[in-house]
Amino acid sequence: MTPVQVAELLLFPGLTFFVCLAFLFEWLERKTAARMQGRLGPVVTGPFGILQPVADFFKLASKEEIVPSESDPFVLRWGPALYFAAPAMGIAFIPVIGYQSVIYHPLDLLFMLFVLAFSTLMASLLGYASAGRYATIAMGRLVVQYTSYGVPLLISIVTPAVLAGSLSLQGVAEAQGPVWYVFLAPVAFAVFILSSLAELEKPPFDIPSASTEIVGGWMTEFSGNALAYVKLTKNLSYVFLSALAVTLFLGGAGGPVLSTNQVLQAFAFTCYFLVKLFAVGFLIFAIKTGLARIRIDQAAKVFWTIITPLSLAQLAVAILLR
Amino acid sequence: MADFRTGLTQWARKRSIWVFHVNAASCNGCDIEILAALTPRYDAERLGVELVPSPRHADVLLVTGTLNPLMRDRLKTVYEQIPEPRHVVAIGACALGGGVMKDCYNVGHGIDSAIPVDLYIPGCPPRPEAIIYGILKLVTGIPDPIITGEANVG
Repeated sequence: MTPVQVAELLLFPGLTFFVCLAFLFEWLERKTAARMQGRLGPVVTGPFGILQPVADFFKLASKEEIVPSESDPFVLRWGPALYFAAPAMGIAFIPVIGYQSVIYHPLDLLFMLFVLAFSTLMASLLGYASAGRYATIAMGRLVVQYTSYGVPLLISIVTPAVLAGSLSLQGVAEAQGPVWYVFLAPVAFAVFILSSLAELEKPPFDIPSASTEIVGGWMTEFSGNALAYVKLTKNLSYVFLSALAVTLFLGGAGGPVLSTNQVLQAFAFTCYFLVKLFAVGFLIFAIKTGLARIRIDQAAKVFWTIITPLSLAQLAVAILLR
Repeated sequence: MADFRTGLTQWARKRSIWVFHVNAASCNGCDIEILAALTPRYDAERLGVELVPSPRHADVLLVTGTLNPLMRDRLKTVYEQIPEPRHVVAIGACALGGGVMKDCYNVGHGIDSAIPVDLYIPGCPPRPEAIIYGILKLVTGIPDPIITGEANVG
């Protein structure tokens, strides 16, 4: 790898850029929820409270870390790092400054599927290793939920790939030059958003982290640094899934070409990407704030009897369209 | 560098206060006022105050109630599960010393007979403003524009 590539990977449009976006997303999420509930949300920390998630992160990182006596200290210590690695690996493949991503592979869409499954695997492993009874219940719910939303999520990711005839994120983004796939395959987009809500454990699918039922879900036993990284990873997953939705359904960073200057055009592409990213983010925030939690059996029923057949039908239509 | 780290930690701790609430045999009056402090009317989230579900995530323990013998050991357990640095706020007359139930056979002599208390908020029940003021006073500890009313907090 060249030094430029390393800089791209670590700074822009790589890890640092997306971690900043993750903090921004948490702030936007809290602000949106507050405004929808007739509150103000954070206002004191930084302008409009924009530094609130940053303050939360550094406060948690500075606190004592409690290791429960029955837990597995090794997994508790290094698990959050691996959990963080899942979306951190995924974002390197997202095209941000145009149609080319930092790391490219002709089959990188399959790697995205791996990243999504790995994230859930690490979450259940962390819950299991912390050995709390609430964490154990939450882990069971998490796995049941994953078996429900995993299949429709996979099908909804495959649908744009079928339409584009490509298994790379770049290829899918480039093939959406004439028309975005959200118009060609609206059902797949809806299924992707719903499955993302389940993956992110947000209402109406926040069953594994239902704080009114099972305390903190699988994060109950985490404190200090580990909790800081787990929370940051959840926000990074938020950004990652929104970015995936933008790349697969909203034409990636594509948009009108405004300038022949390469740097200016890259800036324009980045702006298009961010606008689309925040649009998807707000859609998820609004659904999340507006809906109540459903039971785990209802979630499984909805996913298996309604959403999976719908996504299969959409896949069949996509194959016919092609 | 060490100064920067200390400063950053101090800055973060003052602005991110996660509270965990324990009802140690309270009549629910103070608990309702705590809820009022956290919900839209007073919205303590403006100042970074957040109610967390697990004591392991918390910074500040809010305790209400007379602390009867049944709750004494449970309160100690909850207190020990909060990671350092931790603070305890006793809210309401009962938590301070028994309140109107003082000298009853099953009423303790305040929360501080079981766990160390950093701040007392009197009242039966205290108003939500008093609770928010108390939490901020506790965590900042020094004159701060937010507390002295110089900052516009909406």
